[in-house]
Amino acid sequence: MTNHLLGLLVVIPMATSVVSVALVGRRRPQRVLGVLSLGSMLLLSLRWLLEIRDGDVLVSQMGAWPAPFGITLVFDSLSGLLICAGLVVALGCYVHGFSTLSPETERRYFHPLAQLLMVGVNQCFLTGDLFNLFVGFEIMLMASYGLLSIGGSRRQMGQAYKYLVLNLVASTVFVISAGLVYGMLGTLNLADLARIVSGRVASGEGLPTGFVAVSVLLLFVFGAKGAMFPLWFWLPDTYHTPPVAVAALFSGLLTKVGVYAVARTFPLVFAVGEARDVVTPLLVVSAGVTMFLGVLGAVSQHSVRRILAIHVISQVGYMVFGLSMMTTAGLAGALYYMVQHMVVKSSLFLCCGVMERHTGSDDLDKVGGLLKRDTFLGVSFFVAAMSLVGLPPLSGFFGKLVLIREGWGIHWWLSVIALLTGALTLLSMLKVWTTGFWLPPGSETSTPTGEPGGLRGAYVGIGFLVITALFIGLAAEPIYDIAFHAGEQLTDPTVYIEAVDPHGLVASLGGSG
Amino acid sequence: MRIDSLILRTAVRLVLPLTVLLAIYAALNGHNAPGGGFIAGLVTTVGLCTYRMAFGERAFHRLFPVHPRWLVVAGLGLTLVVAIIPLLAGEPLLRSASTVLRLGGQELHLVSATVFDLGVLVVVVGVAVGMITRLGEELGP
Repeated sequence: MTNHLLGLLVVIPMATSVVSVALVGRRRPQRVLGVLSLGSMLLLSLRWLLEIRDGDVLVSQMGAWPAPFGITLVFDSLSGLLICAGLVVALGCYVHGFSTLSPETERRYFHPLAQLLMVGVNQCFLTGDLFNLFVGFEIMLMASYGLLSIGGSRRQMGQAYKYLVLNLVASTVFVISAGLVYGMLGTLNLADLARIVSGRVASGEGLPTGFVAVSVLLLFVFGAKGAMFPLWFWLPDTYHTPPVAVAALFSGLLTKVGVYAVARTFPLVFAVGEARDVVTPLLVVSAGVTMFLGVLGAVSQHSVRRILAIHVISQVGYMVFGLSMMTTAGLAGALYYMVQHMVVKSSLFLCCGVMERHTGSDDLDKVGGLLKRDTFLGVSFFVAAMSLVGLPPLSGFFGKLVLIREGWGIHWWLSVIALLTGALTLLSMLKVWTTGFWLPPGSETSTPTGEPGGLRGAYVGIGFLVITALFIGLAAEPIYDIAFHAGEQLTDPTVYIEAVDPHGLVASLGGSG
Repeated sequence: MRIDSLILRTAVRLVLPLTVLLAIYAALNGHNAPGGGFIAGLVTTVGLCTYRMAFGERAFHRLFPVHPRWLVVAGLGLTLVVAIIPLLAGEPLLRSASTVLRLGGQELHLVSATVFDLGVLVVVVGVAVGMITRLGEELGP
C-alpha cells in the first residue's frame, strides 16, 4: 500500500529542529514544540502500526521515482514496531530532561539536537536502501556527537572523542562496503538486492566474488554501532558522562539502530546462500560472548550508571542471539526483545537520574534507603529492573521465553548461556535494589543535593515509560503477533520485495552494474 | 585572521564577484550536469572567506551582517517547504514540479527542485561560514 504521509516522520522532527534553532534560549516554547513533535509522530506511527497489524507494508517513493532509482520509505512490521518504541523512549526521556537537565545545557541547542537525533533514527528505520541507511546513521551520529559534548567538561570531551573516532571508522567502512555492493550488483535498494541475490543463489550462478567479505565488513559496521562483541568498548564510558536524559535516550536508541540494521539487511541480502555459512557462526559466537561477558562486567561494577550501561551490552547479546537463528520465531523474538528493552532500559536510566538528584551520586556506597524517601521511584525502579531480568508477568519474561525456547533446538548451549545471564542480571539488579533502595543508608552517605521538588517532569517521564513497559508485558500477544509478521517477512521477503519494488527493473536488466 | 596586503585586497575585490557568478552558474547548471547547490555553497564560502582574510572581521560583518545560524534556519526551512508542498497535493514528498518555458524559440526547463537546491546552498554557506568564524574566534585575531 502506498502512503505518502510516511515522510512526515522525518519532516516533523526536522521542521521542529529548525524552528527550535530559531527559538534558542527560550525554554518554554522549545519544550512545548518538542513534545508536540514527538507526540504527533507517536500518534501517527501508532495509527499506521494498527493499519499494518495483519502484515501489510506501507511504502512511499520519494519524488515519485520508482524503487531501485529513488529513495523508498518503508513502514512494515519491523520498522513500525521499532519506530513506535523509539518515539515512546524519546518522549519519556525528553520530558524527563525538563527537570534534570541544567538550564545551561537546555540553552545550548539540546532541543534542536534531540529532534535531529529523531530525524536520523526514524530515517534509519524507514529507509529501504543501503545508502540512505548510511545517511540516517550519519544524521543520528552528528546529533549524538553534539548531545554528548554539550556542557563540554574535559572528561565529557574525552569520551565524546573516543566515540567519535570509533564511529568515523565504522562509517567509513560502511560507505566503502556500500560502494562495493553497488559495484557488484548495480543497485543499493534492499528489495532489489534481495531479488538479485536470491535469484543468483537459486539459479546456481552463485554470489559475486567478494560478496561474503562485504557481508562481514557490514557486520563489523553494524556490530560497532550496536556494541556487539568485540566492538563494545566504547559504550560504558559514553553513557557515563553525559546528562542522564541524554544517556537514557542513547541507551534506548543508538545501539538498537545498529541491531535493527543487522535484522533488516542480513536475512534479506547479506546472509543469503554461502554468505550465511560465514555470517551465522560469527553472530552466534558474538551473541554468546556479548551476553555473558556483558553481564559479568555489570556484576563487577559498583556505580549504578555503569551497571546499567554494561547491561545494555549484555542485552544486545540476546537480540543478536535471536538474529543469529534466522528463523521466523527467532527473528520475531529478537524484535519483541528489542522493543521491550528500549523502553525498560531507558526507564532504568531515568530512575538512576532521579537517584543522582536525591543523593548527588550514583555510587552504591553512597546511596541507600531511597525507598522510604521516594516510594514512586522505588516502585518504578523495581518494576523496570524486574522487566529487565524477566520476571513472569513483565515484558522481559516473554522476550526471553521466545528466544530461549526457539534457541533450544538450534544452539542449546546459547540458550543455557541466556538462562545463566538472566540469573546474573537478577543478581546485579538485586544488588542495586537492596543497597540503593531497601537497606538503610550507610555511614558514608552523601547529603542530598537540590530540592526534591522540581522533579515533576522526571516523574512524568519515568511513569510514562514504566507504564508502557507494563503494557508491553501484559499485551504481549498482540505485539508479538506484529513481531511475528516481521519475522515471517524477513525469512520470506516476497511481501517486502513486492511492496517496495514491484517492477524489478534492475533485476530484469540482468542485475550487474 | 587577517592578512594585511594591498595585493590581496585588490585581488579579492575582483575575485569575489567572480566567485559569486561561478556559484550561480554551478547552482543553475546542477540539475542535469555537474554542479548543484552544495558545490555552489562551498564556492560562495571560499569567496566569503578570502574576503574575510583580506579585509578583516569588521568588514566581513558589514558584508555578512547575520549570524550564520539564521542562514541554516532559512535554508533548511526553504528545503522543507519545497519538500512538503507536494504532500498537500497528494503526491509523495520531494516530488518536483517542472514546466518548459518558451522564450523566442529557446526552451527553458524550469523545475521546483531548483528552489530546493537554493535552500541547500544557503545551508551550506551558513554552516561553513559559521564553522570558519568559530575557528577564527578560537584562534584569536
